[in-house]
Formats: sequence, structure tokens, C-alpha cells
Amino acid sequence: MNKTLEQKNTRSLLIWLPIVLLIGSILFYVMLTFQAHHMQEKQLELKLQNVWKAYSSDTESMPMHMRGEYDINQVSRVAAPLSDEPRDTSLYYRETGQQVNFQILTRQAEWRGDSYQVTTYVSSKEISHLIIKVFFAEIVIFLFLLLGIVIVNRRSSRLLWQPFYNSLKKAGAYDVVRNPNLKLEEQTGITEFNQLNSELTELIEKVNKVYNNQKQFVENASHEMQTPLAIIRSKLEFLINDPALTERTASLLGDITAANERLSQLNKSLLLLAKIDNDQFPEQNQVNFSHVLEKILHNYQQHYEDFPLLSKSIQLDIIIVANVSLVEILLSNLVGNAVVHNIPEGYIKVQLDANKLVIENSGYPISGDPEALFERFKKGDDASKTTGLGLALVKEIARLYQLKIQYHHQNRVHRVTLFLT
Amino acid sequence: MKLLVVEDEASLLQSIIEYFTQEGFLCEGAMSYQQGIDKMEDFQYDCVILDINLPGGSGLQLLKHLRQNKKSEGVIIISARSSLDDKIAGLDLGADDYLTKPFYLSELFARVKALIRRKYASGSDVLEMSNLRIDLLLKTVSWANQQVFLTKNEYDLLVFMLTNKNRVVSRQAIAEHIYGEETDNLASFDFVYSHVKNLKKKLKEKGCGELLQTVYGLGYKLSI
Repeated sequence: MNKTLEQKNTRSLLIWLPIVLLIGSILFYVMLTFQAHHMQEKQLELKLQNVWKAYSSDTESMPMHMRGEYDINQVSRVAAPLSDEPRDTSLYYRETGQQVNFQILTRQAEWRGDSYQVTTYVSSKEISHLIIKVFFAEIVIFLFLLLGIVIVNRRSSRLLWQPFYNSLKKAGAYDVVRNPNLKLEEQTGITEFNQLNSELTELIEKVNKVYNNQKQFVENASHEMQTPLAIIRSKLEFLINDPALTERTASLLGDITAANERLSQLNKSLLLLAKIDNDQFPEQNQVNFSHVLEKILHNYQQHYEDFPLLSKSIQLDIIIVANVSLVEILLSNLVGNAVVHNIPEGYIKVQLDANKLVIENSGYPISGDPEALFERFKKGDDASKTTGLGLALVKEIARLYQLKIQYHHQNRVHRVTLFLT
Repeated sequence: MKLLVVEDEASLLQSIIEYFTQEGFLCEGAMSYQQGIDKMEDFQYDCVILDINLPGGSGLQLLKHLRQNKKSEGVIIISARSSLDDKIAGLDLGADDYLTKPFYLSELFARVKALIRRKYASGSDVLEMSNLRIDLLLKTVSWANQQVFLTKNEYDLLVFMLTNKNRVVSRQAIAEHIYGEETDNLASFDFVYSHVKNLKKKLKEKGCGELLQTVYGLGYKLSI
């Protein structure tokens, strides 16, 4: 279970702090009771001395018993030795009808040859009330303490972690393609966060560098391949014009030509992808989407003799702001895809309104994840007819202009939806 | 017709020169910026084929130099850089056409022919071979004075074949010529076949027999 730092912190505080406070209060209670008993003992002792002193100086006028205060009993000398410790007892008061607990202490004393037992009483009621009151006061204080600690802790940790959250937010907005600039605070006031930020900045610089190098590499590599491809093409053109051509060499040449053509096509598409990645289509205009779509449909119908049955409902003058060449490539690839992957006697349905473009076509069922078709070099089943980059180009262009694209496939019907808003 | 080819890749340069020489052009080659400048200053050409990346300077600079010296040669840029900016820059500087590598020699040849036709209004706007006659202005085709009605694609195909007559032109070159070079058009090769078939049929109806021949499934050849 993942929780936020703050939740986690509060949670552990709420688990451990009450335990600590509970142990604290038990200790407090034990100590309080111990101290109270100690104090009572002292009181009993003092009282005993006072009573005995008073009695031994003024035997006649002082009563032998005073309920709840003391008892003086004359005893024979052979009385059993007494415990030195205070004991508990209780007295019944008829007037109030209450049983009252007392602590008593009894000592033996000698006076004028007689033996006496002196017992003093101290009520335990008050002291135990006091203990309970103090204990409850302490519980309340502890509860306040708990609350206070949690609140203060939350506040201060929020303050403490603020630079971290700032960095986190900025790092979340980072995108190697769209938002490669990450400016993190260099001085947060906390050494660890400074370190974190500087490490992050360094890491991202590295990522950006690697990404840019890679982009540049793809573009340069594709460019460098164009010339050798051109040489191969030109030499093949001479070869197929060779008067000494035999059927066998012709068939070999046919295969080489086809492979070379595929290579050229791949290279062209890769170059285009790299260029879109490298943001080399900066100029944007208001493009009449409807117009471009009609033009491309018309071209395809012209070019392909067995163009599938077309039904279209295209809203006029849908305008988007984009690079016109890229819009052409996007639509051409989408329409081309619907044509190439169609079945004989199939159909294509094109729908365009202000919100979306839907291109639906009949086709063969596909296996695997449909989203993967938009990845580079992922192909459907007629692998030899495509480079596997057409839909990747579509995806890349859609990404550039932040248009959402959706692919749906059911019962041999393929539908691509491009959301324009 | 005099042609200058400025291209630093010896093998490609040799191919281009060989192709155009076979078609009756007088060709010269230059392999660097300086050689290009020297040749242009010393001679007059009808057309210059210019690569952009050259040792010693850019083909675009060469083009600038050419135009500043009021030379009016037709210029076709051939470049590995297909970037739109390069294309626009090239055309702005006064290039007449732009072809991205890799290209087909048959396509380059068709472009040069079209350029020369446009630029100098030389010869006529009519292509002829035997009884076949194409009027490039009216875009009409006739065989022995009988008009042949063609679709746009069939017409483009026939013009391309007639420009490159007596040569085997590959299906791929035809596809690229008809469909353009921008799209992912591997599937389009199959469609060339049906265009050729229809064109053959229409020509045959007018009685012009085996004008268009298929060569081992590699491509087609227009010859008598």
C-alpha cells in the first residue's frame, strides 16, 4: 500500500506516539501512587508520634479513642510483635452511611511500666481521589500533546519537503520530446534536496543529449544512405536495359529492384520521422482539412483502379492550424492504409466533422494489440506491402499537434478516429 | 543539348552522364564546387544538374553564383536533403526543379526534357513516334490521327514512356513518377500493372499493336 509521505508520517506518529504516551502514563501512575503512599506513611508516622507525645504528657484529659484519628489500647506485655508496615482497613460511618477506607499504623509503646498499642488513622479516600484526578488531567494533557505533535509535525514536514514536491512537479512535467527544459532550484536550503536537484538536472541533461544525438544520428544516417541508394538505382536501370539480359538474371534483378525500392521507402519514412522528431516543420498555417481530405481521396481514387466502395460525409471548411505537408502525409497514410489493407469488394467510410475524423474500412481480422500497429515497424499481416512506418508517421504527426488518435477493430471492420479538438 | 552534371559521387556522376549521353546529350561532369564554377564560367549549357553537398562549397552557393552572373541555364537540384527548407531555398534561388535522392535516371531524364521544353520552347510541344502523337499542350493522344482517350494516369504513363522510349523503365520508376515520391507507396507497384494493361488495351483498339512491351516482369518498354 502506497501512501503519501505526509500520510505515512502521520500514520507512524499515530501508531507509535500513543504507545509511548501510554507507557508514559502507566509509569506516571505507578510513580504517583508510590509517592502518595510514601507520603501517607510519613503522615501516619508523624501523627503517631504526636498522639503518643500528647497522650504521655496528658494522660487524664486525653481520650483513649478518637474515631478515624487514633486508638490507644493498654495491652499485656506478651502481646504478639506487630507489623511495622501500614495496613488497610475501613470504618463504617452511620451518620453518612458510608464505608470509608483508612490506612492505619500501629506501634507498641511503654509508659510508666505499662504497655500500650497506639494506632493512627489516615483516610485514603482523599489521596485516591487526588490520584485519579491527577491521572485524568494527565490523560487530557497527553491527548492534547498527541494532537499538537501530529499537527506541528505535519506542518513542519510539509514545509520541509516543499522543495522536494516542487522538484517532483517539475520532473513530472518533463518530456524528452515536448518539454525537455527542466529548471530545478539550485539552492533549496536543504543539502540533500540540492543534491537531488543537481543529480536530476545532470541526469536529464544526459537524457536530452542522448535523445538529441539519437535523433541526429537517425537523420544523418538516413541522409547518408540516400546517395548509395541512388547509385544502386541508377546501376539497376542500366542492368535492366542490358541487351544480354536472360530470364534468370531478369528475375534476380526484379528481386533486387524490389528490395532496393523497399529500402528506399523505409529510409524515406525514417527520415521523415526523424524530421518530425527534430521539429523541422515549424511553419504552420491554417489548413483546410476538408479540402486536403477531399483531394487525397480523389487522388487515391484516380490512382487505384480497384478503389474500395467509398461513402463519405465530409463537413466543409474544417480548419486546423498545422503544417500543410504534414497534414497531407497524415491523411494520405490513413487513407492509404484503409485502401491497402482492404479486402476485395470492400468499402471505406469517411466521416469528418468539427470534432473528429473517422475512417472505417473492411479488412482482414488482425492479431495482437491494435495499438501496437502505431509503433514503428509493427506490421499487420501483408508485411511485404508496407514499410511498417505509415501509422507510426500518423502517430508522430498526431502527437506533434496534440491530436488524440484511436484505433478500433471489430468483426473485420477497422476504424481509426482522429480527434481534432 | 549540352548538359553539366555537378555531383561529387563518381559512380552516380558516371551513371548520369552515361544515361544522358545515350540519349544524345553532350555531357560534362564536375566533382567539386570549384570545378563547377570553372565549367560554368567557361561554357554555356542548356541544363545543369546540381548536387547540394559538394566538396568546397554548397550547390546552393553555386546556383547563387550562376544566377548572379546572369546565366540562365535550367537547373535541376539533386539532393540527399529532402527537407522542405532546402527545396524552397533551392527554388527561391532560381532552380527550376528539385529531385530528392534516390531518384530514377528515367525520372531525372523526364524532368530534364520537360525543363528544356518549358525553358527554351525548343522543338515542339508534340511528342511523336511512328504513328503515335502526343500533344503536350492540349494533353491529347492520337494514333494515326485517331484520338485515343486516356485517363490522367494513363496519359502520364504514356508521356513518361514515350520520353524514355526504347528503354526498359522499371515498374518502380513508373510508380514513383505517377504517385509522387512522398507517400509510402510500396503497394502501388501492383497498380502500375493495371494502368499499363488498360493503356495497352486502348492502344490496341486503335490498331497500334505491341507498342508497349513487358520486359520479364521487370518493367516496360515503348518501342516499335
